[in-house]
Amino acid sequence: MRVSFYATLRPIVGDRSVEIPLAEGATVRELVDALASRWPELSEQLFDEEGGLSRRVNVFVGGRDIRWLEGVETPLQPGQEVDIFPPVAGG
Amino acid sequence: MRLRSFGERIAHIDLAKGSWQMKPAPRDWVEKYIGARGLGVRYVLENGPEVEPLSPENLLCFMNGPLSGSEASMSGRWACVTKSPLTGTVTDSHQGGWTAARVRWAGFDGLVFEGGAERPVYAFLEDGEISLRDASEVWGKGIHETVAFFQERYGKKNLSVNAIGPAGENGVRFAAWVNEDDRAFGRGGTAAVGGVKNLKAIVVRAGTRKSEVPDRDAWKAVRRVALDAIRDEANITSPRKGGLSVYGTNVLMNITNAIGALGTRNSQTTAFGAGAEKISGEYVHEHLLVEDPTCHACPVACKKEVEIKEGPWAGLHMESVEYEPAWSLGANCDNDDVAAVAKLIDQSNDLGLDPIELGNAFSMWMEATEQGWAPQGQGLDWGDTAAMVALTEDIARRHGAGDALAEGPARAAEALGHSEIAMAVKGQAVPAYDPRGLKGMGLGYATSNRGACHLRAYVAAAELGVVPIEADPLAWRGKGELVKTFQDLHAFSDSLDLCKFSAFAEGAPEYAQQYATAMGIDFGPDDVMLAGERIYNLERYFNNRAGFGPGSDTLPARFTEEASTQAGSKGHVSELGPMLGEYYAARGWKEGVVPDLKLKDLGIL
Repeated sequence: MRVSFYATLRPIVGDRSVEIPLAEGATVRELVDALASRWPELSEQLFDEEGGLSRRVNVFVGGRDIRWLEGVETPLQPGQEVDIFPPVAGG
Repeated sequence: MRLRSFGERIAHIDLAKGSWQMKPAPRDWVEKYIGARGLGVRYVLENGPEVEPLSPENLLCFMNGPLSGSEASMSGRWACVTKSPLTGTVTDSHQGGWTAARVRWAGFDGLVFEGGAERPVYAFLEDGEISLRDASEVWGKGIHETVAFFQERYGKKNLSVNAIGPAGENGVRFAAWVNEDDRAFGRGGTAAVGGVKNLKAIVVRAGTRKSEVPDRDAWKAVRRVALDAIRDEANITSPRKGGLSVYGTNVLMNITNAIGALGTRNSQTTAFGAGAEKISGEYVHEHLLVEDPTCHACPVACKKEVEIKEGPWAGLHMESVEYEPAWSLGANCDNDDVAAVAKLIDQSNDLGLDPIELGNAFSMWMEATEQGWAPQGQGLDWGDTAAMVALTEDIARRHGAGDALAEGPARAAEALGHSEIAMAVKGQAVPAYDPRGLKGMGLGYATSNRGACHLRAYVAAAELGVVPIEADPLAWRGKGELVKTFQDLHAFSDSLDLCKFSAFAEGAPEYAQQYATAMGIDFGPDDVMLAGERIYNLERYFNNRAGFGPGSDTLPARFTEEASTQAGSKGHVSELGPMLGEYYAARGWKEGVVPDLKLKDLGIL
């Protein structure tokens, strides 16, 4: 699964995008767990105190914020784009 | 600088007579409309909604707010308010940097320019006095040269220069005032009003003044609350940590691209593919950033100065590749050359042009060329940056095709007989959020009182998950009430005048506390929203009287009829009709018109 990172998350990962091997039928939960174990510093951004996905990251699957899909249970299909942003806005 | 006496020092400058006098604003105007945007609109209304915008009779107001230039965080802003030559609506635009603070420190709450001078003049402000001086030496000059001229004459220390360039002098309908930090009153063509009045610049010299407030300890405490919110690491404003502080406004480019909300090729499509990364804030940060200075009293430092290191624009050191112009001159024109974008922004700052409108003029012209509608030999190809640079100069000087485009993309497309290719609302071109991918933003564009605008209702903050309000960007239900809330809140902060970005960390409670403590009055969050609503209705009342009524709140058909084909927003159009229904119900308006009863309820009539 190809995952792209943006803004302040990029220096943590050290690259624009990375390839994360995932089992067939994996969900966003498996993906973020894999990311957290590979980059412990990233886990501080990914999870809130209760272990849920933090508001300090926005995960997009196929251009849709997973909040409007099935949250961390959103299934991942081969070839889909996953983009992970910190909150960003400006004007 | 007594904050609670705000409004007592409004200078009325009669350019025809060459004289000025200080007249306090009516107390009930200050109480109802607060300052900056709200107070300026009230003055412009008093002058009459029927006035011809490009005439000396149009009023040109530069208004501080009660917090401008104070120690409150993000208070380095003031408003320019007039009847827009671009839209025919009332318009307000806001400028950052240090000019607002210096004008306040020099002893002025606002400047109201009436009539027109016989010859080019500039206003010199110092120690509570104004003199009108001959500007013939700088008339015709670019803004950078004009600033340098005044810095040479008066010294750089404590000096601000707010000037028009050739575009304003030549009546370009989207001409902008720009100061020594290249911060602009960008939208609405306010500098063309300066041009028709023969007003080249406002030059102010003033050192720092401390605020006098009724209770210093309370003032310190409420400012601390706001500053702590701005510094909170969870907020994008957090200095050196939040996305806005680290990357500037252009941190948006990749996310709008990812969700299919980045208008591309005159909004023919909604994403720019790999091109977005090349003009993004991340790219600029990695390759071009050299400095990030701040405005007065701002810990965020969103301005990102860059230097171009190679290519035809090598050596260019310019203010910032902001998100809006990076979009308008980049993706919107099928241009992924960030150095060319930087050059075009710098040119806009020097000639005094709004780069959002400029980019939309280009993209409209590019589509007209593609369709074979542009006059023979005057066309413009997608992404032809050398031709864009040349045409920018021609627009400012009104040469060749530039003369038609100087009228703005809406009028220029109408002249071609193809209004459908102008992405504009009420004559003002759209900003960088495609309404098919961010539906609340589309409703905000349609109902903005100054023509298409992202800053009247920045609901993107909710739709992009930045503030804790649940708002699916692709859902239309609920957007009517949401847009009204954002419009009212921003109308208030624009009247204080605090930077719009303060709303990423603060809200009505923080605004109320700071205003109440500065003025020594009781004022709560509900009062914030009520004052904001009153100001928004005041603007709408002006527009209704200026001829805007049913049908004026609309969007280009491209957004309501041509579905997005890009990931994130694929298959979506803007459901403007039902959103407008919700919105008018929330506002208590009838088809975009404010009923008299509503005006009376709000104390406007």
